[in-house]
Amino acid sequence: MGDDDLSGPYLAACARGELVVQRCAGCGRRVHPPEPECPWCGGGELPFAPVSGAGQVHTFTVVHRSFAPEFRGREPYVLAWIDLPEGVRAFGRVTGCPPERVRIGMPVRVTFEDDLPDLPQWRPL
Amino acid sequence: MGLRGKAAVAGIGMTALSRRSGRGELALAVEAARAALDDAGMAPGELDAVLSYHMNDSAPAIRVARALRMETIGWHNDISGGGTQAASILGDAAMLVACGVARAVLVYRALNGRSGVRMNTASTGPQERFTRPYGMAGPIPMFAMAATRYLAESGLGEEHLHAVVAQSRDNAAANPRALRRDPLPLAGYLAAPYVCTPLRTVDCCQETDGACALIVTTPARAPSAPRLHAVVRGGGPGCSAMDRAPDVTAIFSSYVAPALWAAAGMAPGDVDVPLLYDAYSWLVPRQLTDFGLVHPADLPGHLLARAHARVNPHGGLLSEGYVHGLNNTAQAVRELRTGHAEVALVTGFGGSYGSAALLVRP
Repeated sequence: MGDDDLSGPYLAACARGELVVQRCAGCGRRVHPPEPECPWCGGGELPFAPVSGAGQVHTFTVVHRSFAPEFRGREPYVLAWIDLPEGVRAFGRVTGCPPERVRIGMPVRVTFEDDLPDLPQWRPL
Repeated sequence: MGLRGKAAVAGIGMTALSRRSGRGELALAVEAARAALDDAGMAPGELDAVLSYHMNDSAPAIRVARALRMETIGWHNDISGGGTQAASILGDAAMLVACGVARAVLVYRALNGRSGVRMNTASTGPQERFTRPYGMAGPIPMFAMAATRYLAESGLGEEHLHAVVAQSRDNAAANPRALRRDPLPLAGYLAAPYVCTPLRTVDCCQETDGACALIVTTPARAPSAPRLHAVVRGGGPGCSAMDRAPDVTAIFSSYVAPALWAAAGMAPGDVDVPLLYDAYSWLVPRQLTDFGLVHPADLPGHLLARAHARVNPHGGLLSEGYVHGLNNTAQAVRELRTGHAEVALVTGFGGSYGSAALLVRP
């Protein structure tokens, strides 16, 4: 399975405004970002299933100088890893609050309303 | 790997460090290699092996061998990689010497890290497929995210990071090779702009043009040269891949430190001078506790009291410059030559993978 096939259903769900995460048919554990094989049991059957959309900031940085050329001039923005109650960690931007308010442990919820359409973002509850 | 002195570092050499060398990587490598050979009192014809590490941004080993007019070459390799190699490439060279494969090994790193291929947009791994579309590029935001959580968990703040950087500047003040030698008071530190919080510009090493070379040979050929006592390399889950790491603040040292002490038959208290890979300020306190040089509870006070002044006495990567860590390895040799240090620790960082070596005075 190629990488594009792998993330296809994930990106298609994002385009619908839905966050989906793989669940291993073998061991039942959630897997994210998408993988061709379960990193826990090696199982190859990993269908996508919805998640609650809740999360907590695990860690973050406020980017003041971007090394991605297309993001220059759009700083500051917040990049973060988000712990989901389903037992996986998701990536994204924290939006909808001033960057200096973001904290480790802050409760957030997924949103698709931002200047990066079709990508999950996180806003404070 | 316990080497117990089966290999020695007979010579070190460096070019000037700059932000614009105006020369190719080959010319830099050859100048550093010739300086290291002179330092060792050896001719190029006495070399029979060449090792380097790079990220497709340098002159390969056979071109350097040819430019040095080595007629033939034995074992030679271009090792793919960056900072993780800064200590373990000594182990690769030592294995060749200890096994009788080579008599004398040239080890070098040459780069135009500022004027040529820069590190600040280097790939950080396959997870970029999911993180790059959000505007995450290069190593700094990744290691900044690890730093945010590390500071929160360890009780450190900006005054402690300042202590690391300011001490590095103070240590570099007397080092003519160093690119940054001016004192950095707290107000100046706080006034420096953020790159990615909590890292300000001054918390990051400066991209550098330059080259560094070392000659590794048998102790019989260099009886008074510093010896390699132990070298380890390894890693595991941590800041290199935060999607599933239980501890996203973990760096290489949490994995290689126990292996180092076991291989060496030594304890942290035996180290006289630690040459810690300091591409980012927060790596210094993290390694001080991982290697057992400071108890975690003592860390904040230790830094504020500048009790870590013996770390990187030349200013390290933060102030001397960034020859991808190999300049810290060269400093380990200088420190042991002074006669004031018996044991030097040198490390190589690449996120949660890396290496460490102990060198001793013969």
